[in-house]
Amino acid sequence: MPRPPDQATLERLKQITGPAGWSDDPDTLAPHLVEWRSRYQGKTPLLLKPANTAEVAEIVRVCAAAEVGIVPQGGNTGLVGAQIPRASGHEVLVNLSRINRVRSVDPSNNTLIAEAGCVLAAVQQAAAEHDRLFPLSLAAEGSCQIGGNLSANAGGIHVLRYGNSRDLVLGLEVVTAEGEIWDGLRGLRKDNTGYDLKQLYIGAEGTLGIITAAVLKLFPRHRQVETAFVAVPSPEAVLDLLSLAREVSGDGGVLAFEMISRFALDLVVKHVAGSIDPLATRSPWYVLCDLTVARATAETFMTQALDHGLIADAALAGSAAQAAALWKLRESISEAQKREGGSIKNDVSVPVSHIPDFIRQALAAVTKLVPGIRPVPFGHVGDGNLHFNFSQPAGMDQDAYLARWEEVSRVVHAIVVAHGGSISAEHGIGVAKREEARRYKSAVELDLMRRIKQAFDPKGIMNPGKGII
Amino acid sequence: MKILVPCKRVPNPDLKLKVANGSVDLAGTTWQVNPFDEYAVEAALRLTEKGKGGERVGEVVVVSIGPKDTSAQLKQLLAMGANRAILVAGDDSALDSDLVARILRAVVAAEKPDLVITGKQAVDGDDNQVGQILAASLGWPQATFLASILLAADGKSATVTREVDAGVEERRVRLPAIMTVDLRIIGKKAVRNEALAPATAEWEDTQRLASLKGIMAAKKKELREITVESLGVAGGILVKTLRHEAPPARKAGVKVASVEELVAKLHNEAKVI
Repeated sequence: MPRPPDQATLERLKQITGPAGWSDDPDTLAPHLVEWRSRYQGKTPLLLKPANTAEVAEIVRVCAAAEVGIVPQGGNTGLVGAQIPRASGHEVLVNLSRINRVRSVDPSNNTLIAEAGCVLAAVQQAAAEHDRLFPLSLAAEGSCQIGGNLSANAGGIHVLRYGNSRDLVLGLEVVTAEGEIWDGLRGLRKDNTGYDLKQLYIGAEGTLGIITAAVLKLFPRHRQVETAFVAVPSPEAVLDLLSLAREVSGDGGVLAFEMISRFALDLVVKHVAGSIDPLATRSPWYVLCDLTVARATAETFMTQALDHGLIADAALAGSAAQAAALWKLRESISEAQKREGGSIKNDVSVPVSHIPDFIRQALAAVTKLVPGIRPVPFGHVGDGNLHFNFSQPAGMDQDAYLARWEEVSRVVHAIVVAHGGSISAEHGIGVAKREEARRYKSAVELDLMRRIKQAFDPKGIMNPGKGII
Repeated sequence: MKILVPCKRVPNPDLKLKVANGSVDLAGTTWQVNPFDEYAVEAALRLTEKGKGGERVGEVVVVSIGPKDTSAQLKQLLAMGANRAILVAGDDSALDSDLVARILRAVVAAEKPDLVITGKQAVDGDDNQVGQILAASLGWPQATFLASILLAADGKSATVTREVDAGVEERRVRLPAIMTVDLRIIGKKAVRNEALAPATAEWEDTQRLASLKGIMAAKKKELREITVESLGVAGGILVKTLRHEAPPARKAGVKVASVEELVAKLHNEAKVI
C-alpha cells in the first residue's frame, strides 16, 4: 500500500525537475485536480511537470523507494477520473505536458514518434505536414494528449476503419513502476519476439507504468471525403443504412458513422451558438457519416437509401467548411448537454446487430426508473459504441438527479451485459466504473489481471485506486 | 427576375498546397466552389424566394469556366437550388481576370439576366477584379463587397450596403447591375426581394446544404457545356503568371531571460528600436 510522502521525499522530487517543473501553489494546481465536468475532485501535495523521460524515471525511482503513489496525467480530458489524484492527498501528480515533442516522422515507414505530452491535434498536424494521416480523432483532440489517449485506449470517430488507439501503436517508451526506462520504440509491423508488452501498458490507465513516447502508425491522407447528414426513422434503419453504405462504398469506404438522437440535436441547436439544424425534415434519429468515395457514389448511396425507405431526408456537405459545420454538431453534444443541467453518462458497447434491441429495452427501463428523464443517446454506432446519456428531468434538482447515477447505470449495464456488451467501451474504468467493471468480470479474468498488476507494479504505487484492479 | 451567378472552382482551402519548381502542385487536391461564390448563389436564391423554404419565383443560372470535372461543383449548386448551369470549357492556366470578364460578358449577352451576382474574389488567386471589369465592359452599375441586398418591389433597383473602413455605406443601384458579395451577405436578413418576401422573412445565417431532394432534382436540371469559341471570344490574356513561390519558412523564435536581453536583441539584431 502506498504511503503519504514525507517532506524529504517531496524535496527530492522538486530537485529532480527544478523550479520550472513543480508546483504546490493551490491556484496552479486547481485546474489539474478537477475533471472538466467537475465530477472528480482530488488533492495532491505536489504537481510535477518533468521535462524529459529521464526525469520521469527519476521521479518514479524516488517514489518507489518511498512507496509514494503516482498519478500520471496528460491533457486532463478523461471522463472517468483516472487522471485525478484521490482525495486523501497522498499521491503526487505527474503531468506529462512538457514532454511534448514529435521526435521524428518516417513517411516511408508510415510512422511517427510522439512524446506522451503531444496534443493529439499536433500529432495529426505533424502527420499532415508529411502528407500522411494519423487517424485517431475525437472531440477533445485539441487538448487531449497522446500519452493519455494510449493509456485510456481512446476510441473516437474513426475506430470503424482504423481501430482504437491500441491498433495505432507499433512501439512504446515506458517508465516502469520501478523507475526503469523501457525503450520499446520499434516501428515494426511484424515482430513476434515474445509477449506484446506494449499492449499491457495501453489501456492500463497508468496503473502499470508511465508511457513517455510512442511509435504511431500513419496512413495515406484521404483524397476525398464526402460528409452526409441523414434523417433516419429508426435504429433498425440505421443498421441497414450502415450495411448499404459499406456495400456502396466498397471496402473501408465508411470512415465514420455516427448516430444522433433528435433530442441530442435539439440540445446542440439550443445551446451552441451558430448551430443549425441541417435538414428541413424532423426525424427521431440522424446519422452523420464520412465516406471516402467520389461524390457521385455518395449521391448514389443516398438515393438508394431513400428508395429502400431507410432515410427520410439527407444533406451532403459541399465543402470542407460545411463538413466541419456538420461535425461540429456531433462534437458539441457533450457541451450542450452540460448546459442543459445534470447528465448521467454511460459509455457502452454492444454487438452492432444488438443496437436496436438494446436501445429499446434500455430506454424503457430507464424511463420507468426515473420518470421524465430525457435520453440523449448518440455515438459511434458503426463500432457498436453508444454514449447512452440522460439529461435530468426538466426542473429537477441537479444534485438529486446526479445522486441516482449509480442506479441508472446499474440498470443500463445489466441490459448491456445481457446483450454481450461492455460497460466501458472507450472511456476506461478510472474510478467511475471500478466496482461495476469488477461485478461483470469472471474470477479467472480478474485473477490474471491482479497477477499482471502485481508483476508490473509490486509496490502498488502506480495510479492507486484506479482501474479494475 | 433572372440572376446570373458566375462561380469559380478553387482548390480546397484547408489543404496545404505544395509549391515546387515555380508552380503549385494541384495533383492531389480536392476542389470546391469558391466560398464567396457559394454565398453569391445563396443570395441569388434568396432573391427569388418568398422567404425561407418558400415558393421560388425567377431563375438562377450559375456559370463557371473550367475543365470538364467542374461539372461536379456546378451540380452541387444545382442541388442547392440553382435552375440551370453553364460550363464554359477553359483552363485556369490560360485565363486571367480580363479574359474571364470577357467570357462572362458574352454569357451575359446571351442570357440577358436582370442581375449578376458573384463573390467579391476567388480564394485561390485573390485577384478581386472580375466583377469590376465585367461591370465596366458592360457599362452596367457595379456594387461591390456587399453585406446586404434589398431588391425593390418593382425590380428596377436595389438598395445595398457595403462595409467600408469608415462604417457601412448604403447605396441604391439601378438594374441590371453587377454585384459582388462579401461574407455578411448570408446574414439572416441580409438579402430580400421586396416583391416576394415580407420584411419579417428570415433565413439561416449560412448557405444552404445540398439536400437529398435537391440532389435528385439536380439530376434533371440542364447543365450546358459550351466553348469559349462558341461565345465568339478570342482567347488572349493580359496577365501571365511567371512563377509561384512559397513564402520563406519562418525562423524559430528564441526565449529571452530578461527585459534587458529583449531590448538588446531588438536593438542589435532585429534593429527595430
